[in-house]
Amino acid sequence: MLLVAQSGWTSSPVYLEALRSEQVQDNDVELLKGVASQDEAALAALYDRYRVILFGLLVRILNNREEAEDVLQEVFLQVWRRAADFDENRGRPFTWLVTLARSRGIDRLRTLAARERVAVAGAKDEAEAVSDAASDAFRSEQRGLVTNALAQLPDEQQHPLMLAYFDGLTQTEIAARLGAPLGTVKTRMRTGMMKLREMLAGKDASFGFRV
Amino acid sequence: MVHDDYKEMIPAHALAALDAGDERALNEHLAGCAECHRDMAEWEETAAKLALSAKPMEPSPQVREKILNKIRAEKSPSKVLPFPSPRRTIWGAIAAVLLFGALLVSVIVLWQQNRELRRQNQFAELLTAPGSRIAELSGTNEAPGSTAKLAYDKNGRAFLIANGLPQAPEGKEYQLWYIVDNKPLPGKTFATDNSGHGRLEDQVPEAARQSAIFAITLEPAGGVRTPTGAIYLRGEL
Repeated sequence: MLLVAQSGWTSSPVYLEALRSEQVQDNDVELLKGVASQDEAALAALYDRYRVILFGLLVRILNNREEAEDVLQEVFLQVWRRAADFDENRGRPFTWLVTLARSRGIDRLRTLAARERVAVAGAKDEAEAVSDAASDAFRSEQRGLVTNALAQLPDEQQHPLMLAYFDGLTQTEIAARLGAPLGTVKTRMRTGMMKLREMLAGKDASFGFRV
Repeated sequence: MVHDDYKEMIPAHALAALDAGDERALNEHLAGCAECHRDMAEWEETAAKLALSAKPMEPSPQVREKILNKIRAEKSPSKVLPFPSPRRTIWGAIAAVLLFGALLVSVIVLWQQNRELRRQNQFAELLTAPGSRIAELSGTNEAPGSTAKLAYDKNGRAFLIANGLPQAPEGKEYQLWYIVDNKPLPGKTFATDNSGHGRLEDQVPEAARQSAIFAITLEPAGGVRTPTGAIYLRGEL
């Protein structure tokens, strides 16, 4: 839910802060260092900063709030135990956290599928309003950038990317699901990813996070 | 596959969508290719942004509490471990010594049993090997109730098992002899246990393998070149 009018958005302090992505990222790196040295407050701050985006991702993957909350706990416990593995020279904290959460989410999805306990299709939970208006608007902006970029991809490129990312399917599984030749699926996925990278390049300033 | 083929696989790798075979091949390539490694980090950034296309959602407040409670529980054991009291330390040390002693005895017993089993196996193998020969030795007047069996294979590898021999006096041992054309060739010496049981592993001289008389005498410990003592056991093929 967008609580800040788009017209006033670009001049808001939140937007200006978002542009200082280096600062935000440095802050995340410092938090992860704190977590690595078993600083409980640092983990709590990291949770407060990323809970909404990671929980949204997990609900999207698992289609079930309860399972998603359980995996979210696992993710932050893993962050607590493995924060020392984070290498700031290899990527951003945002990427590390999202990759970790997505991987855990897909693992749980496969476990549930194996137990034939996948949540009832269509019972998707609706997003809840985020209490802090500025944060909500900020996240909406970030989300807007990505969804706009995705919307510009032809369905034949966008669909396989979604199946891979949110359903955890391999290229062979995607080809079978879509009834398309494997080679074609590979080409479409690569092309889709290249376009996404191009469209989102230079927008990194908007991918910093704040509380 | 060449470098460019691997490079093209990286976007799908960032989505964790590669099939197992491609994934393995790419990982092997990545281990030695700095350029592809850098590419991978960039593609992972792009893939991670897809997470933002999911609707942001607020988890229930209990999740935060559960996480913090769990990490506190993980932290606390190391902080509250009681320092062991001196009394506990002494008893602990005694228990550790006893335990170590028991463990040592067990290891020795097992080692001995294992050695015995290995010997029995070797003897059984030798008895059943093609071309093996077995000579039975019987006690002379020096040891009327004693018996022995000498088995050896075509290469002369021999085992002797003797029973009923009197215990050798201190400084003495039993020695095996191979008598060929009335000429005694010295074998190895062996001792017996309290029950008169003794065993020996030896190499039969080539001259004695086809036809020989086998004898056991009591000799000075370590053995001699020519027999000096009485014959206790005697036999031939």
